[in-house]
Amino acid sequence: MNQVIQIARLTFSEALRNKIAYGMLAFIVILLLSSAALASVTMGRTELMIIDLGLGAISIMGNLMAVVFTIQTLQQEKEGRTLYVLLTRTSNRWIYILGKFLGLAAILGLQILLMCLILGSFSALFGHFFWVSFLQASFATVLEVWVVIAIAMIFAQTSSLFLAILLTFSIDICGRFTNIIYHLGAQSDIPAIRIVSQVIYYLLPNFETINLRNGAGYIATYTAHKILLTLSYGISEIGLLILIAAWIFQRRNLS
Amino acid sequence: MTNLLEVHQLSLSITTGHILQRKKTILDRISFSVPRGSATAYLGKNGAGKTSTFRLLCGMVRADSGEIYFDNQPCDHGIPPNRFGFMPEQPYFYHNLTPRAMLTGFGRLSGMRLDAVRFAITQWAEKLHIQRVLDQPLSACSKGQIQRIGLVQALMHRPDFILLDEPMSGLDPMGRECVQQVMHEEVQRGASILFSSHILADAENLCDHVIILENGKTTFSGTITDLTTKDDQWQIRCRHGEAAWASIPNISAKKTANQQWLVTCPDRAQRDMLLQRLLAMAEVTIVSVNTKRKTLEQAFIDLVSDPSKKDGA
Repeated sequence: MNQVIQIARLTFSEALRNKIAYGMLAFIVILLLSSAALASVTMGRTELMIIDLGLGAISIMGNLMAVVFTIQTLQQEKEGRTLYVLLTRTSNRWIYILGKFLGLAAILGLQILLMCLILGSFSALFGHFFWVSFLQASFATVLEVWVVIAIAMIFAQTSSLFLAILLTFSIDICGRFTNIIYHLGAQSDIPAIRIVSQVIYYLLPNFETINLRNGAGYIATYTAHKILLTLSYGISEIGLLILIAAWIFQRRNLS
Repeated sequence: MTNLLEVHQLSLSITTGHILQRKKTILDRISFSVPRGSATAYLGKNGAGKTSTFRLLCGMVRADSGEIYFDNQPCDHGIPPNRFGFMPEQPYFYHNLTPRAMLTGFGRLSGMRLDAVRFAITQWAEKLHIQRVLDQPLSACSKGQIQRIGLVQALMHRPDFILLDEPMSGLDPMGRECVQQVMHEEVQRGASILFSSHILADAENLCDHVIILENGKTTFSGTITDLTTKDDQWQIRCRHGEAAWASIPNISAKKTANQQWLVTCPDRAQRDMLLQRLLAMAEVTIVSVNTKRKTLEQAFIDLVSDPSKKDGA
C-alpha cells in the first residue's frame, strides 16, 4: 500500500504545480461573472440559475481536465521512460495504475470541490438555496470525473494520445445518453437494434445515474436511497474500470 | 568470479504495421553474463538492440524465448524490483517537481525510510555536485543535471545491480569523470554494473568486461583484455637483419628515420620465428619487442566492420 501512496503522492504533487490547475481558477472567475450576468437578465431566482449554469460548466470542465490530464500524464511518463523507473521499484504493475488513479482523483477532486465551494459562496450572495443538495451534487460531480479518469486510463495505454482523447470523449458523451439509446432501441421493431441498444446500455457507464445536478439547491436533500445508488454505482463502475486498466497494463509490452 | 546476471538465448521480436503486420526481430538468441562486483559495458551501434535488452531485463517487455537468471534464480519477467537500479537514456522526470521531492518519492517507493532518503539525497547530491539544483524545479535543470539526478535515483537505494542506459550522454568532461568515479565506487562496494555507451574510451576506463551486440546478436562477450589482445600484433624494432624476415609471410617492415627497422608480425608464432632468426644473426641488434595492442574503440570497429565475424556469437 505504501507504494500506491507514493505513486499517488508523486502524481498529486506534479499535477498540483501544473499550469492547467491555475487555469482552472481563472476559469471559475470567468464562469461566475458570466453566469451572474446571464442570470440577471433571465426570469427566475438568480442564485439557482447561477448554480445550474455553474455546476454544468464545472462538470464539463472537470471532464475535459480528467481526459487531458490523465492521458497526457500517462503517455508522458511512458515516452519519457519515467514509467520504467517507477515500475522497477514496484512489486506489481497494478500498483502503478492504482497509484496514478488515486493521485489524479485527489487533485481533480480537490479542484472541483474548490470550484463548487466558490460557486456556492458566490450564489449565496444572491439569495437562499439548499446547501445540502448543492454539496451532494458537487460530490456526485467529483464521482463522475473519477469515472472519466478511469475510462481515460484504459485508453491511455491502448491508443495514441489523440485517439485516446477522442475515444474517452466518445464514451463520456455516449454515457450521458445511454437511457435514451436504450429506450429508442426498445421501441424498434428490428430485434438486432434492440439487442445492440441493450448491449450499449449495459456496456457503457451511465453518467445520468451519478448526476445529481438537476435538483441541486432546489430541494433540501436527496433521499438516502438515491445517494446510496449514486455512490454504489459510481464506486463499482470505477472499480471495474480500474480492474480492466490494470489487467491490460499487466499484459502490455511497454516498448 | 561468479555471475550475478546470466542471459541465455534471449530473443525478442516486435510486430510492426497495423493492417499488414510484420514481425521484426530485435534480439536474436543473445547470451551473456555479468560477473558480480564488476562493471560491464554493453556496446553496439545505434539500433543494435541495447535499449531493448535493458527493457527486457527491467521486465517492461516479455521475451519470445530464452532465460534470464539473476542471482541464480530464473526471472522470466525481468529482474526482481528493488534488487536493481535503472537509469534510462535521456530520462524525463516530473518537470514541476524539485529534484529533492522527486528523489524523496522514488526513495520511499523503494522502501527506504524517510530519514535514510534524506541522508542519501544529501550524500549523492554532494558526490554528483547537484546540491545547488536540489530545490529548483526539474524544468529549470540542464540536461547534464537531469542526467546526474537520474543517476542518483538509480543508486540511492544501494541496489546489487545497476543498469545504466548511456550514463555519460549529455555530460561535460568533468561530469563524465564524476560519474565514472561514482561507478567505480559502486563496483568497489560490490555492486555489478551493466551500462551502454557510445563513448568507448570511458568504457575502457571503467570496466573489465564487455558485451558487443550487432543487429540483435552478441558478437563478443568477455573481458576487454580478451577483445583487445584477440588479434594482437607484435612489433620488433631492430638494426639490420633484412634477410631474417624475407621468407616469413605476412610480415611488414619499414625503415624508420633513425635507420632502424620496424617489423610488424601478425601473430605470436611469426614473432617467435623471426626472433629466432634475428638472434642467430651476429650483426643484428634488437632494440625492442612490443605488442601493438588495440584500443577498445579499434577492437570494436574491427569487430563490427569485419563481415567474417558478424555471425559468430
